[in-house]
Amino acid sequence: MTGVKAVHAAPRVDAVLLDGKTGLSKHSLGGKAEGIERMLALGLPVPPAFVLSTGVYQRFRAESSRLPDDIWRRVRDLVHALERKTGRTFGGGARPLLVSVRSGAAMSMPGMMDTILNVGMTADVHQAFTEQSGDSGYAADVRRRFAEQFERTLGRSVPADPWEQLRQAIEGVFTSWTSPRAVAYRRDRGIADDAGTAVTVQAMVFGNVDYNSGSGVLFTRNPLTGGAEVYGEWIAGGQGEDVVSGRANAQPLSELAAQLPGTHRELMAAATRLERAGGDVQDIEFTVESGRLWLLQTRTAKRSPEAATRHAVAMVREGLIDRHQALDRIHADQVEALLRPRVDPQALTSARVVSRGKPASPGIGIGAVALDSSEVDDRRDRGQEVVLARVTTEPDDVPAMSSVHAVVTERGGATSHAAVVSREIAVPCVVGCGTGTVTRLAGRVVTVDGFSGVIYDGALPIVEAATAADSDLSALTEWARAESDAPAGADLLNMLRRRSSRRSFD
Amino acid sequence: MSAEIQILQAIRFKGRPAGADLASAVGSSWSAVAVSLRLLVESGRCVEADGCYRLTPAGRDRLSSLTAAERGSIDRESLADAYERFDKYNSELKRIVVDWQLKDGVKQNDHTDPGYDAKVIAQLVELHAEFQPLLADIVDLVPRLNHYPARFKSALDKVRAGTHAWFAGPLIDSYHTVWFELHEDLIGLTGRTRIDEAEARRAE
Repeated sequence: MTGVKAVHAAPRVDAVLLDGKTGLSKHSLGGKAEGIERMLALGLPVPPAFVLSTGVYQRFRAESSRLPDDIWRRVRDLVHALERKTGRTFGGGARPLLVSVRSGAAMSMPGMMDTILNVGMTADVHQAFTEQSGDSGYAADVRRRFAEQFERTLGRSVPADPWEQLRQAIEGVFTSWTSPRAVAYRRDRGIADDAGTAVTVQAMVFGNVDYNSGSGVLFTRNPLTGGAEVYGEWIAGGQGEDVVSGRANAQPLSELAAQLPGTHRELMAAATRLERAGGDVQDIEFTVESGRLWLLQTRTAKRSPEAATRHAVAMVREGLIDRHQALDRIHADQVEALLRPRVDPQALTSARVVSRGKPASPGIGIGAVALDSSEVDDRRDRGQEVVLARVTTEPDDVPAMSSVHAVVTERGGATSHAAVVSREIAVPCVVGCGTGTVTRLAGRVVTVDGFSGVIYDGALPIVEAATAADSDLSALTEWARAESDAPAGADLLNMLRRRSSRRSFD
Repeated sequence: MSAEIQILQAIRFKGRPAGADLASAVGSSWSAVAVSLRLLVESGRCVEADGCYRLTPAGRDRLSSLTAAERGSIDRESLADAYERFDKYNSELKRIVVDWQLKDGVKQNDHTDPGYDAKVIAQLVELHAEFQPLLADIVDLVPRLNHYPARFKSALDKVRAGTHAWFAGPLIDSYHTVWFELHEDLIGLTGRTRIDEAEARRAE
């Protein structure tokens, strides 16, 4: 699967420089450092970094949440190694080095643990950056971001000593493994509590240093629609967190291509290599510092059901994976989602949810909201498509219900009058949206998703349900039949379900 | 001639019923209902278009005052008891209707499995039988509701004869439609509102 072999059964107690050949398993490295190892193994430009393995976490726990002295001495040596590689010095000097301190468990736990950027920021560094860039705004920006994040995450003010900053940041990130939200997340997903997280310490590069700098994220294929094209966002003059948090105004990658065509070409080439080496669609974070490309992170992309299905088939056709691997990656419920009409996944990224309830009758309906039968009639007379919204429905609402595109109620559940009637007449219906929904929706055009129970503002584009004739689905069906010697008429959903129940026994 | 309150209530329930559907909804002949309807149209309580009838605001007001007067004349304590007994059957009927429409509560019943449908119909037949004594008590308390037993039986007979729409189809006197109207009548007669009842999860 990757260039890194799982050679150690138990996590090794280690703090090592990442060089693409540590030979450590993902179990020891955590997802983040493992991704960096993969990128370094391909010779791609990655800011120098080292990792404290999950084995170090075990010692940290065993020693009352304190970093052991021998490990701390090792950390100081490794920071000096980063200094040598970058030609910068930690905590001061004419060319100061700042580092990021990131969590990274073997099992993906997105956003559940802490990360602290810009560690090593001191008054001296602030001064040096100001002199270096000739722009006091930039240095102040970095210092402000660091102080805010440090204080918010660790609940104390920033120490003046950069080494003390680093030590507290590492201990804080290790401790975030046992934060209530991380514990709850693991419990939900059945991830073991004793695995622990690794910590990756990486030299910072700056997307906010000048006009030819910025940060972005890139998916090697479209994670929403399943299209084969690269999909990504770029923020000129931003740091990585701006893109990830959606804080600043992101632009399409074509803006990067227009501004820095060489850097863009290099990025596209790296993306292709990472996808090939990883054998799956990658989600890559990158920064451009004064026109120079740096890759910060790569991981297997999370995708919509549609994208997961279409990517797997496309990758078989391109010879990147085999048919069994494609079938391994697809779940029956993802295919099921494709077999229903659905809101265009691209439109969903900017769609505004106006209400949520319980899905009571399947289908998607779009229309202007009317509050009673006579308003339904009025709007229909004016040629509008209509959605009926009621606190609860009553018998005399039935004629109106049969002439609208969807029904929404404030109260009730799956056995309510609205639900029963809507199912009979095959009108999409969402019930139990809560008090005040009717007033809130009055007169608006909405899109009602009777599969998920979500109501969106405006008329969103709808993707028709795929049929058995869909070329990707028919390819998968054929492959699944061949694999299991299933009869010619065997159903894809059933075959996928059988497959996954078989695999869970393996 | 049928009681005015019966006809007004039936029109309210059905929205815009045709005259013939009104006759069966109140358990009367078309000629008897036609007389009442003509009087209602003349007095401005309902209007007719293309053979279908609907209430005017005056008709709604008239219905409200008639039902208020009716509430004052019935044995409300006994009816409240009956309504409490009704609750159990109501929950059961809803469960059966959902089983009829959905398999495992999520997947639409496409009615291609006769064995599954037969099992659900058998549950409806059983519920219908168990419900008859209470229904008789209710009709004793409020004679205006005397059309319900025949309407339930008619819907059930059609379901058993294989016409699925009579199980829960709206806009026709399906078992669920008749049940829902009875429930609505009981809510009104006991002085409750559907919204209160939704809150108490007895009606949604």
